[in-house]
Amino acid sequence: MKADAKAKLVVSEIQRFNMHDGPGIRTTVFLKGCSLRCQWCHNPETQNASPELLYYTKKCIACQACLVCENGVHSFADGVHHIDKSKCTACFECAAVCPASALEACGKAMTVEEICAEAEKDLAFYGEAGGITLSGGEPLFQPAAIDLLSYCKESGLNTAVDTCGYFPEDLLAPAVAATDLFLWDIKDTDDARHKQFTGVSNKTILENLKKADELGAKIKLRFILVNGVNSNEIHYEKCAELYRSLHNALKPEVIPYHAFGGVKSEFLLGKSNAKPEWIPTEDQIATFREYLGI
Amino acid sequence: MRFPSVNGIERPIRLSEAARRFALDSLAHKYGLETRKTPGVEFSPEETEGLTDLEKYDLAIKKIALEAPIRVCPGELVSGAATLGAAIDHKVPAFCDGKMLFWSVSHLTVDFETVVKKGVGYIEEQAKAALQKYQGTEREPFCRSALNCLTAFRLYHKRYLEALQEKPEYRGNYENLLRVPFSPSGSFYEGVQSIWFTFSFLRLCGNWPGIGRIDVLLGDLLKKDLEEGKLTLDEAREILAHLFIKGCEWICGGDYGSGDAQHYQNIVLSGTDENGLDVTNAVTYFVLDIIEETGISDFPVTVRLNQAADEKLLRRVAEVMRYGGGIVAVYNEELILRSLTEYGYPKSDAAKFSNDGCWEVQVPGKTYFSYHPFDSLLILQRETLKNYDGSVDFASFEELYSAYVKDLKTFLESLLPDKLNFKPSTPCTVVSLFEEGCLKKGLSYLEGGPIYNVYSPHIGGLADTVNFLYAVKKLVFDDKLVSFQELIGILAANWDGYDALRALAQNKYAYYGNDSDEVDSLCARLLNDFADGCDALNNRSGYIFPGGVSTFGRQLQWSKQRKACAHGRKAGEVLAANASPTPGSDRIGATAIIRSYCKCGLKRLPTGAALDIKLLPSLVKGEEGLDALVSLMRGFVTLGGFFMQPDIVDVSVLMDAQRAPENYQNLSVRVSGWNARFVTLNKEWQDMIIEQNESGR
Repeated sequence: MKADAKAKLVVSEIQRFNMHDGPGIRTTVFLKGCSLRCQWCHNPETQNASPELLYYTKKCIACQACLVCENGVHSFADGVHHIDKSKCTACFECAAVCPASALEACGKAMTVEEICAEAEKDLAFYGEAGGITLSGGEPLFQPAAIDLLSYCKESGLNTAVDTCGYFPEDLLAPAVAATDLFLWDIKDTDDARHKQFTGVSNKTILENLKKADELGAKIKLRFILVNGVNSNEIHYEKCAELYRSLHNALKPEVIPYHAFGGVKSEFLLGKSNAKPEWIPTEDQIATFREYLGI
Repeated sequence: MRFPSVNGIERPIRLSEAARRFALDSLAHKYGLETRKTPGVEFSPEETEGLTDLEKYDLAIKKIALEAPIRVCPGELVSGAATLGAAIDHKVPAFCDGKMLFWSVSHLTVDFETVVKKGVGYIEEQAKAALQKYQGTEREPFCRSALNCLTAFRLYHKRYLEALQEKPEYRGNYENLLRVPFSPSGSFYEGVQSIWFTFSFLRLCGNWPGIGRIDVLLGDLLKKDLEEGKLTLDEAREILAHLFIKGCEWICGGDYGSGDAQHYQNIVLSGTDENGLDVTNAVTYFVLDIIEETGISDFPVTVRLNQAADEKLLRRVAEVMRYGGGIVAVYNEELILRSLTEYGYPKSDAAKFSNDGCWEVQVPGKTYFSYHPFDSLLILQRETLKNYDGSVDFASFEELYSAYVKDLKTFLESLLPDKLNFKPSTPCTVVSLFEEGCLKKGLSYLEGGPIYNVYSPHIGGLADTVNFLYAVKKLVFDDKLVSFQELIGILAANWDGYDALRALAQNKYAYYGNDSDEVDSLCARLLNDFADGCDALNNRSGYIFPGGVSTFGRQLQWSKQRKACAHGRKAGEVLAANASPTPGSDRIGATAIIRSYCKCGLKRLPTGAALDIKLLPSLVKGEEGLDALVSLMRGFVTLGGFFMQPDIVDVSVLMDAQRAPENYQNLSVRVSGWNARFVTLNKEWQDMIIEQNESGR
């Protein structure tokens, strides 16, 4: 398939000089939109596919420039900035005039070639290993991600996709064809719990994984470990089976839950989704790793 | 027995227990404090009465050679020591009636190549020839002084031989010191002893020379010894380690401003020779092994890299960098060689480049070097903008820019007048012996003796001047948010009452260090104009006048005289260091900083421009961390950088980032598979990351 260079994607952020989203130095493109609603999501600002307003309390200097908003999103009482997100139409006029960058538009439509050009800025640093990583959100939530991957591949960039595995089946083959490495997150092998904590069944995710493997995809599994949710040995064993079932898998990783997403949900929703009791113990991490043989 | 590292990684053990103990003692100030007890030799006024300065100097050197305490450390493999404390303070350690006689010399790397390959005896022959040539001329006294100083060197040598001969356990040292440094070195062990003994005598006389390309100096000798089975690799490493350990003999602890390890004893590794062949050898790796194991930071090491640099070398350099402290830095020699040859240095000399002991590039053993650092931001504020008195106005950015460049060039001219002509100055015969040209011309190091005489203006505050000009361009001329006069008024008021505009100036524009072509091209333009200004003055008074970029620590002292800046900074803030971005204005990360820096047209700055890059220990952890460091270095070379010093940041920096987050916008941290900007995290999480980094996880 010839990539459409002009296809547009909604991007929440492009981070350069990342070392932990695949091999080498990488540029990570965070794409908006995800079908899952994981309760522990660490990038909540990327769940919604459409652009939205972020507010960084710490940066606000209460200058009231944001009162340009005609919908009454912003108000000030006793010098304190109040925001009513329900009135926001995502026009971002307030963000444009906010001198302190306390208000920020999260989500910008960019063309495939614009995104690729951004990633190519660090070409000199990629060497053999580095390149572009699509993350999110679920990168394959936006079908134009296929154009982006193919276009990057054609431009000679190494491509990685950080996926939750939940995406339409018809995207699978073209995605595998244009992706050098999948970082494949596994939240839970128990479907009931999966539904409870992510809002969707894991059936599609596991089927997609199997098919991707059959198509020859190189996959690094990343197991999310959440204390009290999936911290049990039945799950560990099933994960180990999953890992062993793949034909072209790199050594998997255990990703212990951390509460940093809480900070971001504060910016987005005004309240934290952090649950410190979810942080797994060192012992739990070690046991899980033992099951995986890593 | 452990050598600490900032990130908690255990250092490997390769050296003997005895060498490690010796290193720990020396690092723990044992010899430094001892040295402080004997500041220098003493004269009575009668002894120096009626003598010329040069004659006084010769007498001082002789007295130093005869009276300086002899120090032989337990178990040392190489001998010689600089045991007079005033030398640590950059003085010739000789006093008349309690008063210092002469300052000494630094910022040069002397000609150790002649010392190792031909021996100091060769220099004696040259000195004799010089005396014959210049007898009866005004240059005769210098030639006599040269011979006097060489005689003193012989006396000092003899005292060590006698001291070693008395102790049977130092038989090996004694035999090794018999021939060198006066004869050519015939073995690796002699080579190390020859360099150290000459270095220690130079330092004993107060001077602070760099050592330069130690792998080039010793590589062939080691190869021969290994082939002949005279030495094993471990034995050779152990010998070289003793040079490093002995080099810690001036560490005294305490607060010395810029640190007590700053005696410019720089070492340069790897790179190519004049035929373009890679010089890397086992000695290159020994140096990296030694600093990896001991963490000795007293010999700052710079590695000459090029596109063809061996992956093995890069990985080794990255491994050693990871221990932190910024001990190992890198040059991109391809750019530097082009810069030097295009500036007029012959290829054969350019290929030898080393530095002044810091990072300013020079041809070792042939160069008088001095540099004049100045604050370019102050010129903008004081000269072009008349201290914001409202008396100047500019109708366009081009008008402002031209006025500034004119003021900059006027300043450069002011450095030049006749005061720069060579004149009889402080005696400095000892270093002059090791600088090619001095004996040939019969002139000392400070009198124009060396082949190249460099006076290098160094532009400081570069990023801030560029950002300031750029902010004026945007605020006044492009976006028309304020008039020029209004802005000057706001700056005169130190932004008071203009918080919103100040926030806008700080947040809405991409400044130098963010890989933004618009501002980076302004930086390149300014440096190009600066280089033009330097070129116009080249050779106007016997000095070559190549430019460079530096501040070293001067941004601290300069901060006091600086006023508010258009890029949102208030008066008195500590601003950019060297060629690095204004603190807090770089928001993207290391690769963007390197890209901005490499766009500056660095080739026209023959003495150099230094870029400091700060990285967190957790970011360079494991194999992928090594890959990242290697990739950063490769990118730096590919993009055409000059000098880069990656520093693995200590936890204390994170704590400082908590206190002053505005200065650490780009500091990213790793948290289990996820990178976050440290300053955007709340206190609780920041504390956790600090804790993680403290425990080195």
